[in-house]
Amino acid sequence: MNQQELNNKLSQIKAQLISIEQTADNRIYLSCEARNAYAVNKFLFEDVPLRFVIATGIDSDDCFEVIYHYAYDEIGCIINLKVFIRDRENPQLESIAPFLPAAEWIEREIHDLLGIDFKNHPNMRRLILADDWPQGVYPMRKEMDAKIARGWTCETSSRPAPESPARRTVPLGKPILPVGPFHPLQEEMEFFQLTTDGEIVTDIDMRISYNHRGIEKISESLQFDQVPYLVSRICGICSASHPTAYVNAVEEIAGVTPPDRARYVRTIICELERIHSHLLWVGLAGHFIGYDTVFMWAWKYREPVLDLLEEITGNRNNYGNVKVGGCREDIPDEIVPKMLKDLDEVEKKTEMLTKAVLDDPVLHARLKGVGTLSKEDAIRYAVTGPTARGSGIAIDVRRDDPYAAYADLDWNVIVQEQGDVFAKAVVRLLETLESVKMTKEAVQKLPKGPIAIEVKEIPPGEGCGHGEAPRGETFHYVRSDGGNRPIRHKVRAPSFVNVPSFRASCIGQHIADVTITLAAVDPCYSCTERLAVVDAHGNIVRDYEMLLQASRDKTAQMQKELGWPGLKLEDLQIG
Amino acid sequence: MWSLKKSVWVFHVNTGACNNCDIEIVDCLTPKFDIERLGIKLVGSPRHADALLVTGGVTAQAAPRLREVYRQTPKPCIVFAIGACACDKGIFTTGYHMVGPVDKIIKEVDPNAIIAYVPGCPPKPEAIISGVLKALAVL
Repeated sequence: MNQQELNNKLSQIKAQLISIEQTADNRIYLSCEARNAYAVNKFLFEDVPLRFVIATGIDSDDCFEVIYHYAYDEIGCIINLKVFIRDRENPQLESIAPFLPAAEWIEREIHDLLGIDFKNHPNMRRLILADDWPQGVYPMRKEMDAKIARGWTCETSSRPAPESPARRTVPLGKPILPVGPFHPLQEEMEFFQLTTDGEIVTDIDMRISYNHRGIEKISESLQFDQVPYLVSRICGICSASHPTAYVNAVEEIAGVTPPDRARYVRTIICELERIHSHLLWVGLAGHFIGYDTVFMWAWKYREPVLDLLEEITGNRNNYGNVKVGGCREDIPDEIVPKMLKDLDEVEKKTEMLTKAVLDDPVLHARLKGVGTLSKEDAIRYAVTGPTARGSGIAIDVRRDDPYAAYADLDWNVIVQEQGDVFAKAVVRLLETLESVKMTKEAVQKLPKGPIAIEVKEIPPGEGCGHGEAPRGETFHYVRSDGGNRPIRHKVRAPSFVNVPSFRASCIGQHIADVTITLAAVDPCYSCTERLAVVDAHGNIVRDYEMLLQASRDKTAQMQKELGWPGLKLEDLQIG
Repeated sequence: MWSLKKSVWVFHVNTGACNNCDIEIVDCLTPKFDIERLGIKLVGSPRHADALLVTGGVTAQAAPRLREVYRQTPKPCIVFAIGACACDKGIFTTGYHMVGPVDKIIKEVDPNAIIAYVPGCPPKPEAIISGVLKALAVL
């Protein structure tokens, strides 16, 4: 379907819309009243069909707005549906979660932050705010601005917290397995509550909020040039992708294109980030199934990548290298030969790791058919990145809606059909090799010229920027009123849609497979997390060490059954 | 105290960090830095910990959990505030969900707690190791 056919399709629902506006080749803004929102959303998701990205709640002066963002990946088009809720006293909207599970979390978030009530929502409990956050206080409403500026915190508030628990209650007699809340390597700290029947997981519930820092609100108090430093600290490992997506959005509002050299520098930083992030994941995945050698080696091989990043940007993480209109630091020509040499070395090591994984009969037995996310579920949960590509959905923002210099480079999108943990591991490993190839090409092609142009003013308007982070699509929506600060800045990190897909991939799994299934979408687990199995009376019967041991024992058992002697140092080439 | 200084067992607590400090802490364990050669070991339970490595500026939801983790550690326990956020909430100071920083929350439980600070965003693994060793030297 090309742009024309998409427009024709959208005009079928013209009667229910207030306006259809096309601001650029691949950005379409629709708007409608609250009463039509359900029907229009259903049409967009089921009949066009579009991929759900996220929704943004905005407190405008006279009404509340909810913007549903959709993507049509075939032509890289973003379709935004603005819904106006005129009743400020009692804001209500029909929930779209019954037919679109991907929207469940964001509707709960908008309810927490803006106080919009979603009718017929299957699971309307608190999601993003703390258990003891006072009831009826909505931090994203404009009336809170002055209070927060005067030093209001939830601790000084006199209003009571709600009585209803944020966690789901489980019927007595069903064993539950709480996982969390401390997971040092996650983007978002999470608490999982698994209901189990013997060794089989029968239900999973999640609680987030531990890591909610209110970044979208802080962003409204910063100037356009300061925001990249804030968004690079959303997640340490995605500290190149978030600012890149943000500046894509702001540059769309300002109508500027960064110079060629800046586009290449951005690409190089983003790809180096992907290499070290994927290697980090391979190491942790190895750790979970008892291959600590893989853990230590993969982390050793990512060190040269961090050193390169430090040499270019001055920091191993949190690069802060992207700014509106270009880049802050250039890649000095004299380090290019060293970069190429180091990348060759990284490529060799990654190839060795990839071979070791693909040729290992135990890993095949241990990871194939485990934690499968079917293509249908992947679409319903709107997952992105390697999680989607492992389930046979060939989407990649770098190819579909190219930004930076991706359109100039020669590379492939890696897709696997099976949807299990093994498929996701293969996607990540092969992607790392593609990234190394891409980085080398970009370094060799690096054009001469300035790395930034001056952008004096950001005009009023709105823009969407997205980029492919190591974990999937990161999406930023920015609205400007012509001042020097964004009046609304919405961020959707990839894990926000990838994590809820656990409901589809974990249920029916063995407890011993859960750690690796949860880790397969790369929410970054580490060995120091606190985790315990609690029986119906609340007694701890298994702790994290025992679960890890269960996972490792399963691997050892399979090694025995396969008559496999175990990993020997001589089998690996030591460079 | 002297035995504690020989071989420090640390427990890692994330209270709303962006992950960077946490990755750098784990990086300390891996071959390039390998803190186990200095007798420092990461443990899975606060009840085994001589020290807490706390990252993040403490969100409203994490604060009660941090207090509880500190209560569970055997005393004396050294608290390391790792990174700019743990030291003074860093870039997230104005966030409505932030109730930290770390020293404020820990002192609510124990006014005489030993707290050491390792600033940086994120501190490099070398800085974390040097911070821990410097703190042990003055104890």
